[in-house]
Amino acid sequence: MRREKTAIAALIVLAVGLAIGAAQILVVKVQTTQLRNSPQFFGPTLVTLKAGDRLEKLAEANGWIQVRTAGGAVGWIHSSAVAEGSAAVSPTGPVKTQATANEVALAGRGFNKQVEDSYKAKHADLSFVWVDRMVQIKIAPAELQDFLRRGHLGGVK
Amino acid sequence: MSAPNAAGRAALALIALALLAPSCSVIQQGADMLGSAGNAGSTVQTVTTAANKVRSSFADITEEEEYYIGRSVAAMILARYPVYQNDALTRYVNTVGCSVALYSDRPEIYAGYHFLILDTEEVNALAAPGGMIFVTKGLLRRCKDEETLGLILAHEVGHVAAKHGLQAIKKSRLTDAFMYLGTQAVKTFGPEDLAKLTTAFEGALNDIVEQLVVRGYDRSSEFDADGLAIKFGARIGYEPAAIVRFLKTMVGDRSNAAGKGWFKTHPSPEDRIARANQAIAGINPLPKIDPARTQRFTQSAASLR
Repeated sequence: MRREKTAIAALIVLAVGLAIGAAQILVVKVQTTQLRNSPQFFGPTLVTLKAGDRLEKLAEANGWIQVRTAGGAVGWIHSSAVAEGSAAVSPTGPVKTQATANEVALAGRGFNKQVEDSYKAKHADLSFVWVDRMVQIKIAPAELQDFLRRGHLGGVK
Repeated sequence: MSAPNAAGRAALALIALALLAPSCSVIQQGADMLGSAGNAGSTVQTVTTAANKVRSSFADITEEEEYYIGRSVAAMILARYPVYQNDALTRYVNTVGCSVALYSDRPEIYAGYHFLILDTEEVNALAAPGGMIFVTKGLLRRCKDEETLGLILAHEVGHVAAKHGLQAIKKSRLTDAFMYLGTQAVKTFGPEDLAKLTTAFEGALNDIVEQLVVRGYDRSSEFDADGLAIKFGARIGYEPAAIVRFLKTMVGDRSNAAGKGWFKTHPSPEDRIARANQAIAGINPLPKIDPARTQRFTQSAASLR
């Protein structure tokens, strides 16, 4: 009986949790990104965020989301960089605030470096040299901004 | 196990399953709360298992997993084609590609977008999942301006943004892989799980490469990617008709390139042109070609002439 009551009480807590919008927590799903001062890619950045960082959603506009970090910084992040604290998240770094059990279960699991290494061991003839070089090619934001401006693209001034 | 206990668990599991669709995390938060009530070690297990069962389609592949799948797909593409080593031109292609990606529906991706040129006269462009994109020298030679290159790279970014590559993975393969992952929160796999996962990984790579290189995506995915190219291209400011200009170079082609690459794996250029023209007709205002862009393209691609 007592266990039943506890279970029912817990379900009520769960329902209340749903009602007050627990989905306001977002998790960074890309390796690294920037918390930005305004909802645009160019311009001042505030903090570097990494996969698994948890953010509180404050507002949303045109594909951008205003968030607060665990450290209290408030800024903007593009919606494609975050997931709504769901199964589609794989935090690789330490989680700032308490993660849900499901996220912990998925952390760094699945097709990861260990699986790649195991695959490489089976296919020693397959070279990853150019793959590693390719992912090192980086165009700095300032260079990209200059390229867009000179090409009269994206309305960049 | 006493009857009320079993009934309670069954009720929780049912409710959890009913709620899984809207949000897994919320369910889990509920389970955490149950855990803190000191009663639900097994309930957490039930809910977590249920949540993992939801991870069964391509859409549930995490960004990190997509990145690792993409790396190996890229390695397999690079086993078929040599790299055209030209730092200046590679950098230019990356700058155009990253610019277009920034105005796509998926500007942020796990490890960013990266582009390489393949040293072949075949007319081809390939996008591995995770944003590793390849264009051939033969394709670049057919581009007359930056608009065209921009639209073609936007087509490939479109495939990545829409996760067309991941959709090529057979569903049974994913179901198996997700099953091996189990529910324990450990980051390192034991030898048995690793062997099974590696087999599933290998299968997934073959599914994708088969589709990318041999069979091609279905027609609707290609028309979809053309539509996205026009949308992203117009958003950044490239003249969308550039893709039509390019496709026209493929009509009635009798060169050595015909029958390979895009000729083999894509719908006929005539069909693509007709649909592209329809999509372009709906864009207002329509960006126009810009001489400053054409000039830098001509300069960057001079080594190909």
